[in-house]
This record gives sequence, C-alpha cells and structure tokens, in this order.
Amino acid sequence: MPLEILLIVVAAGMIGITLMLHLAGQTRAFEIADEETARGEWLRHFPDDEIHEVTLAPGNNAALIRTAQGPGLLWSLGADTVAYHMAHPSARACRKGLRVEIGDFAAPAVTLRLPPEERIRWAARIEGTTP
Amino acid sequence: MTDPTFPDVVNLFVPGFIGLILIEFVWIMFKKREDRHAGRYETLDSLTSLTMGAVSVGLGLVLGFITWGFLMALWWITPFNLGTSIWAILACFILDDLRYYWVHRIGHRSRWVWASHVNHHSSQHYNLSTALRQSWTDTFTFMMIVRAPLVLIGFHPALVLFCGGLNLIYQFWIHTEAIKKMPRWFEAVMNTPSHHRVHHGRNPRYLDANYAGVFIIWDKMFGTFVPELEDDKPEYGLVHNLGTFNPLRVAFHEWVGLFRDVFRPGLTLRQRLMYAVAPPGWSHDGSRDDSNHIRAKYVARHPEARGTPGLEPHRLGKVSEAEFAPRVSPVSEPAE
Repeated sequence: MPLEILLIVVAAGMIGITLMLHLAGQTRAFEIADEETARGEWLRHFPDDEIHEVTLAPGNNAALIRTAQGPGLLWSLGADTVAYHMAHPSARACRKGLRVEIGDFAAPAVTLRLPPEERIRWAARIEGTTP
Repeated sequence: MTDPTFPDVVNLFVPGFIGLILIEFVWIMFKKREDRHAGRYETLDSLTSLTMGAVSVGLGLVLGFITWGFLMALWWITPFNLGTSIWAILACFILDDLRYYWVHRIGHRSRWVWASHVNHHSSQHYNLSTALRQSWTDTFTFMMIVRAPLVLIGFHPALVLFCGGLNLIYQFWIHTEAIKKMPRWFEAVMNTPSHHRVHHGRNPRYLDANYAGVFIIWDKMFGTFVPELEDDKPEYGLVHNLGTFNPLRVAFHEWVGLFRDVFRPGLTLRQRLMYAVAPPGWSHDGSRDDSNHIRAKYVARHPEARGTPGLEPHRLGKVSEAEFAPRVSPVSEPAE
C-alpha cells in the first residue's frame, strides 16, 4: 500500500474510532461512589494490603487510602481506577482543585476535583502521608 | 539469483484492523445487555492503543533496515536455500511460530525484553484495539537474534518476515471478549481468544502463561499452558497498572524504571545486571514480588486454590506460600 494512502487510512481510522467511542458514551469516568467501592478497588490493585482508613474526594474521582503498608491514592482513570502508594507526594492548587504529583514516571500527576475550602486540608493530608 | 519478494501483509491489513474494531464495538453494544462480559471499550484507552499501533508501524518502516540488514548478513553466509515453495512457506510459518513462542516467553521472563513488551499488556481493557498496542522499542531488545536459526537453515529473510507478519495478523482477532470458546478441536491446537485472555490476565494464576502466537501446542509442550477458568475471569492490565494514557509514558515507563534500578548507587555489578535481565519484579533486597511470589501470596490467601490450574506447586518456583501465611490476611481480599 502506498505510504500516503496508509497514512490517510490510519488517520481516518483513529479519528473515526475515537469519535464513535466518545459519541457512544465510552468516555465516562469511573465513579468512586462510596467507601466500599474505594476499598474494593484498592484491594483489586493491592490484594495484600490491610486498609485502615478511606477518605473519599468530594468529586468522587479519588480517595486517600491509609493502609498498614503505607498511604496511597486511588483515582479514576477513564473507565477504570489506578492506585499508587505514595512515598513523597506533592500537592498544589490548580483551577479544578488539587494537582497531586506522586513522583512515578508511570503515574505523573493526578488532578483531584475539590472545592476551594477542601484544597488546603487535602494538600496537608497528602503531603503529610510520608510513611 | 534475485531475492524473493513478499507483500508487507501487516500494512495491507490496516483497513481490516480498523473495520474489525468497528464491528466488534457495534457487536459489544448489542450484546452488552445480556452479557456483561461481552467486552468493553474506553475512548482514551483505545486512542492510546491506536497511537501505539500507528507509531509502531511507522517505526517498523524507519528501523526495519536493522533487522533486515542483520538477517541478510546471515543469508549471505548460509550455504542453504529452502526456496519459496508452498511447503517451505508452511514449514517457515510453523517454525517462526515456535520462534515467536520463545521470544514472547523471554519477553515476559527477562526485564530487558519485558521493558519493550510491557506496553502491550498495559491496558485494563481487552478488545481488538488492545491488539494494536504494540511496542516501539522491540528493535532494541535484539530479539531478532532468535530469527537467526531460521535464516541459517535456509529460509530467506523476506520469507521469515512475511511469516512473522502473518503471525501478527493471526493474533489480532484473538484479542476479544466477544468470542467465548471456539470448537474443541480448534481450542486444542490453535491459540484462541480464550487462551489469549488468560495471557493478558493479571490474576495470579494467569501470570506467565499461554505465550503462543498461532499454535497453542507450544505452551502445552513446554508446560506454560493454563486454561481459562469460568470462576476466575481474567482481569486485564499490569500487576501495577499505569496512571496515564500518555503513549510516551506507556512506551518508556519500564525502560525508565529499569535504568533507574541499574544505575542506583551501592549495587554490585551482578545486581545491576540482574535488574536488567532477571524476571520482572526481581530486586536485590527482596522488596518486590515477582510472579512466583504473587502466586504464592495468592495461595496463602486462598489455600483451597493450591494445585488448581496455574497454581500448581511448580508454578510457585522456590517460593513457599507458608512464608506469607502469617502476613497475608484473608479478610483483606475482596469478594469474588
């Protein structure tokens, strides 16, 4: 296949599939609706952990998890969740809420949707989670 | 004598990849109400997979000369020529699939190759777009060396690469949850969606299993076959899933981790080497879990699962689940 045709087919295919998925509602984010969901999702990622405390973000897109193995952050990534233990996190206010950097190349930063009055409290909790 | 020419089948099949993704998605939308395991798509996840695939094809065009040059050098020195008859093509296809099995197995058992292959497993979804989440860095794993015997026994490099392309195309359709099981005879001989779902599972019993490309018989011959169990549905992704859809981070995260480990201070030369080539999860101080440890911990939490497919004693390596019994609390496991 000539290169220019291949490029057109690839570009059209990528745009078409992405549009179709978006219009069909496949961009909806996973909602961490309650503590039980947060616990279940955390244990899906870290089945050996013993969870002590769960704090849900008001936007239902993240949760701070305290475990016997150390503190961590669970958040929604598209239709799924991801979870990371936090060794030396940093948090700073951004337009939507709080931007948390975990210091891992595979999970660069998470934006937590938080109302202004919650941001300072959450930043303190996250940065105070150094094990 | 002129070199034989074969079509670049992967590039020719690109419209087929796109068309089949569209068909699978429409099928899932129709089936989803009656079968929640019919499959699922996520927009950014699929866009990441498509981007990985597109760049992989592009890099193949740009860097293909390295593998081609290496294989042609071997062709120049070999005294054998098996030609391009239908029998030669068939034999090459079968032997190339054996080559694929071993490259794939090494790809999961040596971090140097895993760093390249890991991105194919980085989606938490399993659909036809996942098949296109291909490596950008496989040239630099030097696994083209495993193709050397094929050329040295007389298969022309063009034929070897043609068979590799057919192998890749075969593997596209097995990345789906839409097909449950194929007929029994087919499941016995060929790699199928069911067998390959196991390969993509992050469930402890499914780790390091079903490396086959086209013929599942290699796994059965070499002891790496694990069947898909009805009561342990594969959960897709990595043991530690990625927190990003950024294709650059998907492509390079394990390389970054590998080089950080290799160059961390205070290690012996052997430890540095082990961080590069030992199985993923190896660590000099035992602070990380490799797949044997993950399985042993699972068996410690679920003693009743010991000896079931994928959790046989030989799949725990030298690790004893008793080692973890006091530390792993059964109550911490979510309901299954």
